[in-house]
Amino acid sequence: MTGARAALFVRRELAAALHARWFIVYAALFLIAGVLLAAFGMGNTMIYGYRGFAKAFAGLVHLALFLVPLMALFPSAASVADERESGVLEYLLAQPVSFGEVYAGKWGGINVAMLLALTIGFGAAGAVAVMRGVPPAFVLAAYGFVLLLATAFVAVGLLLSSVAASRARALTFGVVLWFLLIALGTLGVMVASIRWGIPERVLLVWSFVNPIEAFRVGVMSVLDPDLSLLGPIGIRLVGRLGSTGTAALAALSLAVWSVIPGLIGLRLFRSHV
Amino acid sequence: MIRARGLAKQYGVAAVLRGLDMDVRSGERVAVLGLNGAGKTTLIRCLLGLTDFTGNLAVAGYDVRKSGLAARRAIGYVPQRPPHFDGTLRDIVAFFCRLRGLDADGVRAQLEELGLSVKEHGDKHVRTLSGGMLQKTLLGLALAAHVDLLLLDEPTANLDAPARREFLRALRSTAADRTVLLATHRLADVEAVADRLLVLHEGSIAFAGRMRELWDAVGADITLWIQVPQDRRDDVERHVATRHAITTVLRNGSAFGVKIERSRRADLLGDLRREGVMVEDFWTEAPSLHDLMEQLLAARRAAAENAE
Repeated sequence: MTGARAALFVRRELAAALHARWFIVYAALFLIAGVLLAAFGMGNTMIYGYRGFAKAFAGLVHLALFLVPLMALFPSAASVADERESGVLEYLLAQPVSFGEVYAGKWGGINVAMLLALTIGFGAAGAVAVMRGVPPAFVLAAYGFVLLLATAFVAVGLLLSSVAASRARALTFGVVLWFLLIALGTLGVMVASIRWGIPERVLLVWSFVNPIEAFRVGVMSVLDPDLSLLGPIGIRLVGRLGSTGTAALAALSLAVWSVIPGLIGLRLFRSHV
Repeated sequence: MIRARGLAKQYGVAAVLRGLDMDVRSGERVAVLGLNGAGKTTLIRCLLGLTDFTGNLAVAGYDVRKSGLAARRAIGYVPQRPPHFDGTLRDIVAFFCRLRGLDADGVRAQLEELGLSVKEHGDKHVRTLSGGMLQKTLLGLALAAHVDLLLLDEPTANLDAPARREFLRALRSTAADRTVLLATHRLADVEAVADRLLVLHEGSIAFAGRMRELWDAVGADITLWIQVPQDRRDDVERHVATRHAITTVLRNGSAFGVKIERSRRADLLGDLRREGVMVEDFWTEAPSLHDLMEQLLAARRAAAENAE
């Protein structure tokens, strides 16, 4: 694989993502909602102090939890399937390039597009939050988790796109997966725990297996040292692993989600041209 | 340029290529002819390394499986359906120039030679260009890359008749020094481009040789249409039927068509001239590929029975 060719594909994918209407809409939505939440949601931080801004900042985190996976899934799930349908992929791979270069270009380009959009959106909201008294270190930690969440869902999207027969199917799979992972987050875990009496160990593991839940647990364990925002599962996790250990394990989980689906996607990409 | 030994490809239980052995020498123009599903596109996908296969396959001396990148460097590809790129013609040309390390001026000059002006059409979105223009763009990119081998997968399949003629003319005039492998199901394309042809049938080579040898092998009849004055048509038909033992098969106004061996066409027309028949016009229709395949397979069966 040559860096120059991969970089060419990164630029191509980045340009495609930045020209896509959906991407601009999501990025704008994230920017506006984030800034509004930061500006108006933290009105009481001065009154309630540390705990107040953590709760207010949690709104921004939950906004990211809902929007960022969709922002990442749309371009990545469409990426391979769309070009396969249009005949572009076959023509590209008929050139003196490797499958890996094309795939890496897609992965890199979409991630760079996400990085730009999230840096602008989260950066603006974070700046407002810092001005309202949130410590910059917390904003940076949350920003890091947001980037990891985005990278994880880019990898998942590319995997779906590599196997789906069409763009529409890839996007449908992506949205269904997103919905399931959201539904099987805190609320789902609690319902399952009450309804079926699932062992605590399974629920704790699930908090790291589900990337959306891992993001929530990870970022909240940093933001909310007194654990009021984490919920019962999160409290058990912090009790066992400590705040830093929980955050580290959550970050590791998202890192694994960023790599493994991407590699599986590459393998399937080779056999589904 | 191409060397295949025991090339086989299976999709599930369906064998698409069944142990092909083939050689294409440098500078040859070979047509791969076959009905839909014969394995033409799969053969091209194997050559491009886009699908796995069993057997050995080399392009320009490079093993396609082990050195696919080097093999593809020697290949210029024009697909059946032009890819739906997103961008202007200038964007697409610029991207592929960077990808293959081509000189942009050289590509523009090549496209001009093919009758496509980047100056005139460069700012148009490629989706607004005609199929013929897109195919010419891909051919131009392949030629400008100085590739040794042009792989053309039914490049005229989606073009109308004028665009098809124009593409084939451009191909003949600009790719004279290249090796060409043209997959097609059009006999006219074969006659316009190829020196030699391979007929694929159900994943096997049913015939390899020159077009004339194929006609000889199958004895395929053409349809000869003869147009005479309306009031003489019946007389001329009777004459042809009695003298040449040919029955009229078709009528269209003052013209009638007869099935005849290609080699007897000149005799029949010469005879009519000697008889003083005023032939206003004549033209021939090649048999359809389907008819040709049936006759070829029948000839092979007969040859096999004779051998036994």
